[in-house]
Amino acid sequence: MTTTTIVKAPSTSAPPAPAAAAAPAGGVATGAKIRVHALRYNPQEPGSVPHMQTYELEQTEGMTLFIALSEIRETLDPTLQFDFVCRAGICGSCAMMVNGRPTLACRTLTRDVGPDITLAPLPVFELIGDLSVNTGRWMRGTSERLEAWLHGDPQARDICRIEEPMEPELAEKLNELDRCVECGCCVAACGTARMRPDFVGAVGMAKIARFRLDPRDKRTDDDYYELVGTDDGVFGCMSLLACHDVCPKDLPLQTQIAFLRRKMAGKGWA
Amino acid sequence: MKVVYTDVLVIGGGLAGLRLAIAARRRGHDALILSLVPPKRSHSKAAQGGMQASLGNVIKGQGDNEDVHFEDTVRGSDWGADQEVVRMFVNTAPKAVRELAAWGVPWSRVRKGDRQVVINGQKVTITERDEAHGLVAQRDFGGTKKWRTCYVSDCTGHAMLQAVGDQAIAAAIPVHERTEALALIHDGGRCYGAVVRDLVTGTLSAYLAKATAITTGGAGRLYRVTTNAVICEGIGHAIALETGVAALGNMEAVQFHPTGIFPAGILVTEGCRGDGGLLKDADGHRFMPDYEPEKKELASRDVVSRRMEEHIAKGKGVKSRFGDHLWLDITLLGEQHIRHNLREVYEICHYFMGVDPVKDMIPVRPAQHYTMGGVRTKPSGESPTLKGLFSAGEAACWDMHGFNRLGGNSVAETVVAGMIVGEYVADFCDRAENDVNIPTGVVREFLEREQAKLDRLAQGGGSEDAAKLKARMQEIMTAKVGIFRRGKDLEEAVDELQELLVRSRSIGLRSRAPGPNPELVTAYRTQKMLRLALTVAYGALTRTESRGAHFREDHPRRDDAQWLKRTLATWKSDADTLPTLDYEPLDIRRMELPPGWRGYGAKDYTDHPDTAARQAEVDALKEKHADRFARQRALMPYDHLLPQRLKGRNERIDERFPAAPGGAGDTPESAFAWESE
Amino acid sequence: MASTSPTIAGAGLAERPRRSRVPARLDLLQSATGLVLALFMWGHMFFVSTILVSKDFMWTVTKMFEGYFIFGRPYPGIVSVIVFGILVLFVAHAFLAVRKLPISFRQWQMYRGHMKVMKHEDTTLWWVQAVTGFMLFFLVTVHLYQMLMHPGLIGPYESADRVWTGRWWPLYLVMLFAVELHGGIGLYRLAVKWGWFERGDADATRATLKKAKWVLTVFFLVLGLATLAAYMKIGYEHADRAGERYVPASVQPGAVQ
Ligand SMILES: Cc1cc2nc3c(=O)[nH]c(=O)nc-3n(C[C@H](O)[C@H](O)[C@H](O)COP(=O)(O)OP(=O)(O)OC[C@H]3O[C@@H](n4cnc5c(N)ncnc54)[C@H](O)[C@@H]3O)c2cc1C
Ligand code: HEM
Ligand code: HEM
Ligand code: SF4
Ligand code: F3S
Ligand code: FES
Repeated sequence: MTTTTIVKAPSTSAPPAPAAAAAPAGGVATGAKIRVHALRYNPQEPGSVPHMQTYELEQTEGMTLFIALSEIRETLDPTLQFDFVCRAGICGSCAMMVNGRPTLACRTLTRDVGPDITLAPLPVFELIGDLSVNTGRWMRGTSERLEAWLHGDPQARDICRIEEPMEPELAEKLNELDRCVECGCCVAACGTARMRPDFVGAVGMAKIARFRLDPRDKRTDDDYYELVGTDDGVFGCMSLLACHDVCPKDLPLQTQIAFLRRKMAGKGWA
Repeated sequence: MKVVYTDVLVIGGGLAGLRLAIAARRRGHDALILSLVPPKRSHSKAAQGGMQASLGNVIKGQGDNEDVHFEDTVRGSDWGADQEVVRMFVNTAPKAVRELAAWGVPWSRVRKGDRQVVINGQKVTITERDEAHGLVAQRDFGGTKKWRTCYVSDCTGHAMLQAVGDQAIAAAIPVHERTEALALIHDGGRCYGAVVRDLVTGTLSAYLAKATAITTGGAGRLYRVTTNAVICEGIGHAIALETGVAALGNMEAVQFHPTGIFPAGILVTEGCRGDGGLLKDADGHRFMPDYEPEKKELASRDVVSRRMEEHIAKGKGVKSRFGDHLWLDITLLGEQHIRHNLREVYEICHYFMGVDPVKDMIPVRPAQHYTMGGVRTKPSGESPTLKGLFSAGEAACWDMHGFNRLGGNSVAETVVAGMIVGEYVADFCDRAENDVNIPTGVVREFLEREQAKLDRLAQGGGSEDAAKLKARMQEIMTAKVGIFRRGKDLEEAVDELQELLVRSRSIGLRSRAPGPNPELVTAYRTQKMLRLALTVAYGALTRTESRGAHFREDHPRRDDAQWLKRTLATWKSDADTLPTLDYEPLDIRRMELPPGWRGYGAKDYTDHPDTAARQAEVDALKEKHADRFARQRALMPYDHLLPQRLKGRNERIDERFPAAPGGAGDTPESAFAWESE
Repeated sequence: MASTSPTIAGAGLAERPRRSRVPARLDLLQSATGLVLALFMWGHMFFVSTILVSKDFMWTVTKMFEGYFIFGRPYPGIVSVIVFGILVLFVAHAFLAVRKLPISFRQWQMYRGHMKVMKHEDTTLWWVQAVTGFMLFFLVTVHLYQMLMHPGLIGPYESADRVWTGRWWPLYLVMLFAVELHGGIGLYRLAVKWGWFERGDADATRATLKKAKWVLTVFFLVLGLATLAAYMKIGYEHADRAGERYVPASVQPGAVQ
């Protein structure tokens, strides 16, 4: 990181609301200024070097990082790269390091993290540019490696007939584990994943735990051992629990990883 | 020239695209999915409330079946829907839920015995049947006679997308993430694939396929206030329109959702009202019963949205610095219910507004929500005018929603359409005459043309700012092509949008950064979106009646005599500033349910001359057949339209199949077998 | 026992050679050795701290370990055997745990940087554990070697002279902090790692565990420091007679040692 440049919004008038932002035109300025320090680097551009760039803008009421970054792109710097899709905290696209911790930017209110906000892309994942990383590819790779899909009964099931019943409590528990949005926060927060690129990460273990709980998945613990019974798998986890603490969907990662570890360790002499 | 070949090119990795690709893959064809974002981040993710399918497991859904679902959907559509397609849909929806159950969706389940629910503001105890215990549960949703909406807490779309996405990975279907289709490659009669931009490197390549499917979802971002994701910009619609051959159907039919949180536009689910939430005004008064004594908060979306705006216009809105809004009150549902069954809603209120919905009311106002219009197709999902082009999901108009779609019918549609159209796509690819054999010249020409367009934007030295044009367009659409439409506003809108379209031809860029270049993306998308916006606005201006979500203050009646027809828009030439509109009549004489009153909303319409005769015919046939299947067959046969493996009745608690002799389960009516690989 | 379900066989996994079960065993062993060592350390701290009660008491406990009260005379060899057992555990634990340490400077740097920006307690605690573990490797080896070779030289004066006159106290001071931090964090980690004590609310359990961990660490540090101070004081007072063995008053008349 070398240079630091500062870009300021014209201070005479409140910056116009970005079109992408949902707040009505103009927003309601709160008078406070915030400074967004963003990591800039475009690997596609020869000669581009990672550096911090500072943008100064006026805070509006209810301003989220989605609104702030959209405004920066529309009024200050059209080249800034970042990813938002649902802007409602449900799709997992917008995870980034906010003041050093991974979180969903779209549901972060600037007033909670400002007035100086440092933004960086998630580590571990391949960098696309600035704040944008390729979590999608990583997640697909993990899914393939862990065969993270339901391995149903190979016997044909007739979908015209009444579905298999399931206890309502179990369905609720499954849903609890199914809520992962593959945002990558847990991986970025994990010291183990930082040191060891092949580590499955909490998201991978949570997926296995999810299918293991599901009676519709016909795999046995021996099968799961094949997938996570390694030092890159559940035995590689050093129980740092940052994953648990940052997961924006509050998945019970601590409990699930411990559970999986017990089951898999049980296979050691079985 | 980089060229990628496959059998089925699926543009869009939402529920519709994924399910379609899986269907084709299982029939042995290679499928490749393009998506702007990783598929599991598609906007299908956002569906909270649920998916309609007439399982009839819960007690309040008892007696539900395809017929009831059919009627609800057609009434909801204000008779704009293609009734054959609706029939195909309602018969496949239960199969889709059951297939998804087998794929791992953790559907919320029925618990036998008593439970307390809130109906119509009152706490009521209902008793679920023992034999329903553990089966997929249904909740109440707007515009339905029975409780029919299957759900996964309030993250139904998420759970569905997760399961279908996983199955696509299991089927080893490649997804080219962060790619964008910029144009369809075609020769005026046959579609061959698409020109695709890699959003990481910025390079263009050609993807060639026997069949190309547009499953790109909605176009909500034509509006400023919308519940849609930022990627729902209608580019899939636009590239179909730009062929000049394929048509877009009913683009003026735009749905507004009653409860977008104010002012952010993020959706809180209809499930809130389904579960018993109430709408209140500035005085804390529950006003919906004043307008809709029967269905109250649960009338169809178009009706509720309009009533809300009407109420605000009467000065009953809550004043705020951002404008007026109303309240959604779910406090009466209790903490347990809100924090478990409406958890997503709880989180949204908590994170985006600092509001605790357990104690406080939620500020809401209608926001753009759903694009009923789309790429016009036959019931098979194929464009009638451009061979080899298919479409499914929100992007398509095979027309099961007409002028208003019911909540919960949309995610159901995505999967059902994926199943049905996927089979048709596979059939199409099976036929030898559909092998692609296209001159490389055509491919090169399309690639070069698209590259030239991008170069012109980047280097043409234009002076217009794309972001500003886009913002203005969204402003116009929200203000003048919104819930209440007037001829004069629409004219102004069309004029100014045309002006913007012309200006968009001289957009210039401030930066030439290689790679994704977000500014360039905004630039070319704005050009496409303006065409789409014009298609919506012009269609709305021309349609001088009110139907479903399309409401003209100056023409408040539904006019079946003049307007029982579908708008078809094509964009003939690059130089045009308006689409060419054609109309496709709907044939009442073949309708199973002839037009009438919807059962809610204004009782105000002009009958078509054929309606009475058909109604008499229908009544006579109903008289004649006691068996509901025979009756249906007599009224409007549709079975021939369903792919072989999706034919067959649906079993219910009250409609048990006879026990199969070997126990293995197949009755003659249910020939379909679900395969795991 | 059908170890492979038909499902996974269908997915082609059956043809793959089965994964080794060694990682599972090593993980268990790592925890087991850590647990035994940590529990041993509690006992050990109570044992050495008997000096706080009285010299005689410490002497008695020492002799007990040497089998004096069973055989009627001390056999320091017994202590050597215990020490050897601990040494084996210790080496095993070190060998197992070292797999988790960063293997390159780059990894080390990564972790440091990560820890600094994250400011996440458990992440930082692991680093403390890694550093203290690394220190213990050297410190404890020395200590154990001493105990292994001179098992008879344990006692109120013998130990105190070693600590003071033999100048072992700096080593013990560092070792004390290292081992208490390392063991305390280790036990906490064991609990969360295997999900012990977890009832319903994992977050609440974890908060309780962490509190318990700090309480224990502080307790043993205070105890250890007091003990060390006691040895130093005795050693200081006994410095001019360093090397003299301790003989309790009760056994003095007929004592042979
Ligand atoms: C907030 C919200 C809540 C909803 N709740 C419900 C509900 O409860 N029940 C219900 O039935 N319906 C609901 N809906 C509607 C329903 O979610 C959508 O209609 C449906 O999911 C659309 O699915 P799809 O597969 O057609 O498109 P999407 O899921 O939107 O997927 C579109 C895909 O196309 C890709 N794409 C787009 N353009 C291009 C391009 N040019 N090139 C390449 N790829 C492209 C995108 O990357 C994406 O993968 C809701 C909608 C919203 C906005
Ligand atoms: C050579 C000296 C030692 C080294 C290098 C060492 C290193 C480590 C390391 C790196 C860990 C973390 C392992 C992980 O995160 O998975 C660990 C865990 C642990 N250590 Fe040590 N240690 C040493 C000695 C000791 C001693 C003397 C004790 C006894 C007090 C001890 C008790 C523990 C415990 C209880 C754990 C937790 C076990 C687990 O996580 O499975 N260690 N050690
Ligand atoms: C069976 C093996 C062991 C025996 C017999 C033993 C014995 C002793 C004795 C007698 C002392 C008092 C000082 C002295 O005589 O030098 C002592 C102190 C100490 N030992 Fe050990 N020890 C053993 C193993 C260990 C281990 C494995 C550790 C650390 C991991 C350890 C850490 C310490 C510390 C920190 C002190 C100083 C305590 C204080 O002064 O408060 N010992 N040990
Ligand atoms: S487990 Fe949580 S943090 Fe990790 S990817 Fe899933 S949602 Fe994100
Ligand atoms: S942070 Fe990492 S080490 Fe394990 S407990 Fe979580 S995955
Ligand atoms: S943009 Fe979807 S979670 Fe933030």
